[in-house]
Amino acid sequence: MSLRLNLYHEVQKQAALKRRDPLKLSLYGMGAIAVCMAGYYFLQLGKSHGLNSELDRLKAEHSKLDPEAKTALKREEELAAKIKMNELIERRIEERLYWAPLLEQLVGVVPREVQLIKISGEIESEITKKCTLTINGISAGTDARGIAEELRIAVAERLGTKYRNVTAKFRSLDDGSEPVALEGKQLPTAAFVIAVDLTWGGEALAAAAPRRKR
Amino acid sequence: MKLGKEEIQKLALGILLLIGVVYSYFDMLLFPELKKQDAVAKNIASLSPEIKKAQEQIKRAQDLEQSAPGKTQVVPQVEAMIPDGAPVAWFPPRISELFKREGIDKVAAKLNNETAEKDLPGFRRIAWTIDFPKVDFIGYARALSTLENDEPLVAVTSLSIEPSVDDVETQRALITVNNLVKQ
Repeated sequence: MSLRLNLYHEVQKQAALKRRDPLKLSLYGMGAIAVCMAGYYFLQLGKSHGLNSELDRLKAEHSKLDPEAKTALKREEELAAKIKMNELIERRIEERLYWAPLLEQLVGVVPREVQLIKISGEIESEITKKCTLTINGISAGTDARGIAEELRIAVAERLGTKYRNVTAKFRSLDDGSEPVALEGKQLPTAAFVIAVDLTWGGEALAAAAPRRKR
Repeated sequence: MKLGKEEIQKLALGILLLIGVVYSYFDMLLFPELKKQDAVAKNIASLSPEIKKAQEQIKRAQDLEQSAPGKTQVVPQVEAMIPDGAPVAWFPPRISELFKREGIDKVAAKLNNETAEKDLPGFRRIAWTIDFPKVDFIGYARALSTLENDEPLVAVTSLSIEPSVDDVETQRALITVNNLVKQ
């Protein structure tokens, strides 16, 4: 076995030590970390740039849309006011109380034994749509008061088919002082005043027939 | 492995340098950038709803504009129905003419009062009393029906009909009406 002598062992040891220099290794590590940190920073810079672009785009869009929206709001308010005014006028026209049909219904229930002397009517409130009618008349017959009562009931029933909250009450019912001739007979009379209250507009409700008062 | 004095000094210096660099990186670069991003994101978040709101507002106005012609026809029609000039000059003749067509010759319309319409800017309401000295009930009711149908801006507020004092065959009627006119 031959003897070998490494005369460079000191040099090789120095080279190995230099290779494993902790300062150098830590510098390498720090460099790697620095590269990572720089990369992350540039990534964030890119993200910021994207966000800034988005913000600029949104600002431009907003500055373009904002005046348009203000104009649109103004226009919308104008149109809404116009539409409201139209609706008001339309409602006022459509929801008037038509007196002619009311008179027609009223006259339709007057029997031949009754003569109406005066009819007057007044709108109490346009908001609540309440109307009052006053009917003055004379009824003739063996039971003149009964005939007047039948008229009161008939008025309430007939008007109740078209109007709401119809009430018909006697304001007065008195025996007449003079008899009248009807179909060749002298019949006693009764003078009456009937006050009718009703509400128009909306759906008509059939009013319950008032009970006969005896 | 044993570190020499010089190497320890280098290491300490390196660590100090590292701490400085890391501190500077976070405090001067990364955190300000992240703060800026945060502020921009907040701005974006606040702008987006405003833009959406503005878009909705514009859309709503456009929709209303499209549907408006059908809903705003009444006012021009009503305005066209009201003659120009003082109502006292045209309303009584107009009413007389209407009732004359219905066979009632004697009609007198008198102005009662006028009030501004709060809900209807540009319009006012005039109250009139229309007197029919001699009418028969059926003809009067028919004429009243014509008035109510032909004059949509006229609303009868009260009426009365009673026998004429001098003629038992006829009645005397009185109606009060409200008429919508231009301001």
